Amino acid sequence: MVQERLPDERIDTLSLQILIDRDTCMGSGNCVFWAPGTFDLGDDGISVVLEPAEGEERQMFLAQEGCPTRAISLWRDGVEVTSP
Amino acid sequence: MVRVSLDETVGEPAPFDPFELQDTVTGDIRDPYPRMADLRRQSAVHFGNIDFIGSDDPEPPLVSEVPVPVSVFGHDEVVCALRDDRTYSSTVYEGIMGVVMGPTILQMDAPRHKVQRALVSPAFRSRILERWETELVRSVVDDLIDAFAARGRADLVRELNFGFPVQVIARILGLPMVDYPKFQEWTIGLISVASNWDRAMAASEELRVYLTAVIGQRRRQPADDLISDLVVAEIEGERLSDEEILAFLRLLLPAGVETTYRATGNLLFGLLQHPEQLEALRNDRALFPQAFEESLRWEPPVTVILRKTLKDAVLGGVPIPANSDVGLFLGAANRDDRRYADPDTFDMFRQAQQHVGFGFGVHMCLGMHLARMEARVAVNAILDRLDDIRFDPDADDDPHIHGMAFRSPTSLPVCFSPR
Repeated sequence: MVQERLPDERIDTLSLQILIDRDTCMGSGNCVFWAPGTFDLGDDGISVVLEPAEGEERQMFLAQEGCPTRAISLWRDGVEVTSP
Repeated sequence: MVRVSLDETVGEPAPFDPFELQDTVTGDIRDPYPRMADLRRQSAVHFGNIDFIGSDDPEPPLVSEVPVPVSVFGHDEVVCALRDDRTYSSTVYEGIMGVVMGPTILQMDAPRHKVQRALVSPAFRSRILERWETELVRSVVDDLIDAFAARGRADLVRELNFGFPVQVIARILGLPMVDYPKFQEWTIGLISVASNWDRAMAASEELRVYLTAVIGQRRRQPADDLISDLVVAEIEGERLSDEEILAFLRLLLPAGVETTYRATGNLLFGLLQHPEQLEALRNDRALFPQAFEESLRWEPPVTVILRKTLKDAVLGGVPIPANSDVGLFLGAANRDDRRYADPDTFDMFRQAQQHVGFGFGVHMCLGMHLARMEARVAVNAILDRLDDIRFDPDADDDPHIHGMAFRSPTSLPVCFSPR
């Protein structure tokens, strides 16, 4: 079955920490496509986190899930979280 | 009585018609998805050749020329294999596309793949591509639309989609416009390798001669184009050999031409079939990304990619021996009903989810940002300029998406308010 829609009120209370494994990142730029307010590519072509954009939590999960090399992980209170 | 004249073999060759070659590449299969869904319900991983037409059809399978001993139809299983490039090797392409293209990144594993990809990828970043959007793509698309805008009807496959990606990639490479028709012919020649060896080898050789001259010329006199960038590209002392540049260019033509025209066609087909979605997009162009991503999920232009297992593996609970050729069915993964509700429906308003229309893992489509931009510019131009566009009810045609390894519409006969 498909994933459940994440209730908006829960999104607003999420405080996510974003980690990028720079050795694994291939610079596909797919994270920038899905969450352009949160990610960018640095001059070396490796993904960097901008200020995590307000209201872009769902897109962050899409970016994490859409990373072709699993270089992005999302954490809350020291626990890794995946797409709900 | 029909008399075959010998003159036909010595006279002027018929003008090149790219569409004459299409079926040899695609296979004329209208809808392989119900069969894939049946197979997936049995198991996400299958062994042996698969008959995609179905056992009740007397026709032999059209894809059997390339043996695919293992076939994977589940979404999670396809993603798992594509992410595990140490087990599922791309070297399987050495004996397929490598024969006509040379040593491309398509067939490389780590560590050489990572180096090469890093050398060529800067040119395909979305920010770098911005310059091409107005300077090149929109103007190419507008020129093509100019040719039929006053007519009130057109076949968008022949008159728009097939014409613009080749001009875009050729300009980015820096190749002269007068040669564009040749690229299209060579492109189809290259990807026909499984069905027409002689045509593929001839195209490969003609491209080698043509591109070798261009590479040499750019070494002597760099210009503002991708080939000039490639000859000087260097990362930590690593550079591309002439053979690798040549191979990459021979990969770029089909990759940049074939896939984009097919993907744009599939999006337009979905939109024309669902006028309410077309209208929603016309009124809010910010919806374009979700519309295009949904079309790539629903009908990816490339439906299957291949890998070879370097060691024994287990996928979806099924053991796969080392040295197996593994067909990863992107199209089937994108319609896995364990992941997507109502997967056979084109619905740009479904909640966004990742798909594998661009592949996944370290080989994920290098040109995806270019494809997204090109399709956006083309569809925006259509919506800006062709009012009230719809499938032409009077067209003597039966437009449908067809193909097996590559899928796209046979035609897109549309009518609209002429200007």
